[in-house]
Amino acid sequence: MVTSTNPATDVDVQGSLWSRAPYPVLIADLQGAVVLVNEAAGALLPAARPGAQMADAVPDWLSSAHAALRIPRQGRVEEPAVWSGHVGDRVYEAHPTVEDSGTVLWWLVDTTDHRLAEEALRRERERTAFLGRASNLLLSSLNLDRCTNVTAQMAAEHLADAAVVVSPVRGNRLPIVTCLRDGSPVVASAVADPASVPGLVEALQGFPPVPTRWVDPRTVPEWVVPEGFGAPGSIVVTPLPGHGVPAGALILLRRADGPGFTPEEEVFARLFAARAGAAMSAARLYADQSAITEVLMRELLPPSLHQVSGVDFAGGYRPSEDHERIGGDFYDVHPAAAEGNPSLVVLGDVCGKGLEAAVLTGKIRNTLHALLPLADDHQRMLGLLNMALLNSHHTRFATLVLASAVREGRSVRMRVTSAGHPPPLVVRATGEVEEADTRGTLIGAIPEVRADSADLFLAPGETCVLYTDGFTEARGGPMGDAMFGEERLRRVLAECAGMPAESIVERVQMVAAQWVGNGRHDDMAVVVVSAPRSHHLSAVNGHTRGRFTA
Amino acid sequence: MSSYSPSHLRLTAVDTETTVRIELRGDLDYDNADLLLEAATAKLAAHPRLRDLHLGCAELGSIDSTGLSILLMIRRRTDAAEVSLHLEDRTPALDRLLRITGSLEYLTALSTGAVHETSGPGESRADAEEAIPARPTGPDSSA
Repeated sequence: MVTSTNPATDVDVQGSLWSRAPYPVLIADLQGAVVLVNEAAGALLPAARPGAQMADAVPDWLSSAHAALRIPRQGRVEEPAVWSGHVGDRVYEAHPTVEDSGTVLWWLVDTTDHRLAEEALRRERERTAFLGRASNLLLSSLNLDRCTNVTAQMAAEHLADAAVVVSPVRGNRLPIVTCLRDGSPVVASAVADPASVPGLVEALQGFPPVPTRWVDPRTVPEWVVPEGFGAPGSIVVTPLPGHGVPAGALILLRRADGPGFTPEEEVFARLFAARAGAAMSAARLYADQSAITEVLMRELLPPSLHQVSGVDFAGGYRPSEDHERIGGDFYDVHPAAAEGNPSLVVLGDVCGKGLEAAVLTGKIRNTLHALLPLADDHQRMLGLLNMALLNSHHTRFATLVLASAVREGRSVRMRVTSAGHPPPLVVRATGEVEEADTRGTLIGAIPEVRADSADLFLAPGETCVLYTDGFTEARGGPMGDAMFGEERLRRVLAECAGMPAESIVERVQMVAAQWVGNGRHDDMAVVVVSAPRSHHLSAVNGHTRGRFTA
Repeated sequence: MSSYSPSHLRLTAVDTETTVRIELRGDLDYDNADLLLEAATAKLAAHPRLRDLHLGCAELGSIDSTGLSILLMIRRRTDAAEVSLHLEDRTPALDRLLRITGSLEYLTALSTGAVHETSGPGESRADAEEAIPARPTGPDSSA
């Protein structure tokens, strides 16, 4: 720093050199009186004139440094320390050079910018660390509620005295999460108009991006200020930018007795908001997607079945527990439009899994519903369905069984048609199990489909079982890796001869569940169509099962 | 000769100018069936004079509905390219799946567009197909 080895001993001689030195230089003697002040020092410390006492002329930190330096005065001070302190609003370092006489030359160096740079660097490091931590916390889960809570908490901890995360409007409610510094996030929903907070409507729209808004604390509605917060001094509304979808807004509050937000802090709040917004919108998209899948899947859940026009229907569906593997088994029963006409049962299995399978399943069910007037003609129905599903982009297909069933006297007449699906099994009263003689082409991938139907008669107590290959291909058993297989299914069904439809479904499901144990399995769907065995028909209102009196 | 290295499905291909034979080893299912589609599509693109695409299924493991869907897509593409698709050495499980789903005939029928002047397999109905002379592929141990 200052390397002068020949400090002025003769002030008068060297005074002119001093006076032009670019740094403030001040010389004071043993008694604490100012001896010389150069131009720069004079400008900095107007009261420091030769003859003045240091205590009166310079800031306290410098005069006490001077006092400290001259009091020990045991020969030369080897390595004079460096003092520093404020002069006005700037920071100076004072480097002393002590002469034998006890006179001290004070070299003053302005370190304000250096200090500021250091401080900025430290803050920057803190912030980077904070943002890193924020990202880790926010991205560690795709749970929207958690993301929102973390956002409120981190913002309250590091950016303000309190934070409010406002999520996009639902109906007339604003879902909000508030958090006081050192507090826990509180989830609430405000019945409020977002327009009551300036900038909030724009921020909640998510696009176009809007800048942070300063809000006059006197104008904000009560719900913005968390309970127990007191009077807010300054409030900032920052959008939480999502990926083109609104993620919400972050409202930061500081107390009236504390400092407000600096522009720098505001920029930083925006950086944080960008991360939080990205995480929240990712979580929201994920939540939406799984909600959609969920809704579709639930929509696809089979109806509960009952007796229709003197024919017993029962169905069971066990979805795959492996959510990645959710297949697309489905079934529907469409009751006849008029008494004496057949009801139509559809049971099918869609290729693939997840959302794609769900969408295709929905398409098939809707199309078949629309084609119900043609239900008498299975071939035509399948042909039209195939045309509706054929798609040049993919060869995703479905296999299904159509079964029309109508009561005739005490029997049930059926026509069943397989479109690439395992043929239904018929359980005779004797316990014999027959495969319906129907074959056909899968639907949705091949331009031309054909199918041969089979006509069946079910005597009272006899049953036709439609099932998906989730049963026959279920792996399990004593060794854990054997296929359930069609033979085993037939044996189980043979034991079910004469049982009511619902009991057969339960029995088949139970045996299959025991077979797979805890193992993975595909969807399993089964529909049983039975000719009721006895007189219980009159005791049934068509919606509940009558008591079975075998 | 080239090989692909999926985890559960290994494909080994032998190419001539007009013939490609891909051996399938392992499962053709949801997790890796698309590898076969990629491989077959790449062969169709790489061999403009290709007339026959043989899929050797002797060592095919299990096949699920997605695997079948991929075979249907390959058939669609070979038809478009006027290439004959041959599913050879089919396992009983594959045959059973193709029969139940009614896709056996479609997948094994002689391509409508592919008319062979020479060395064609003649009546390439499903059952005749297995009589196609073995390709000079040998055991095809994959590298």
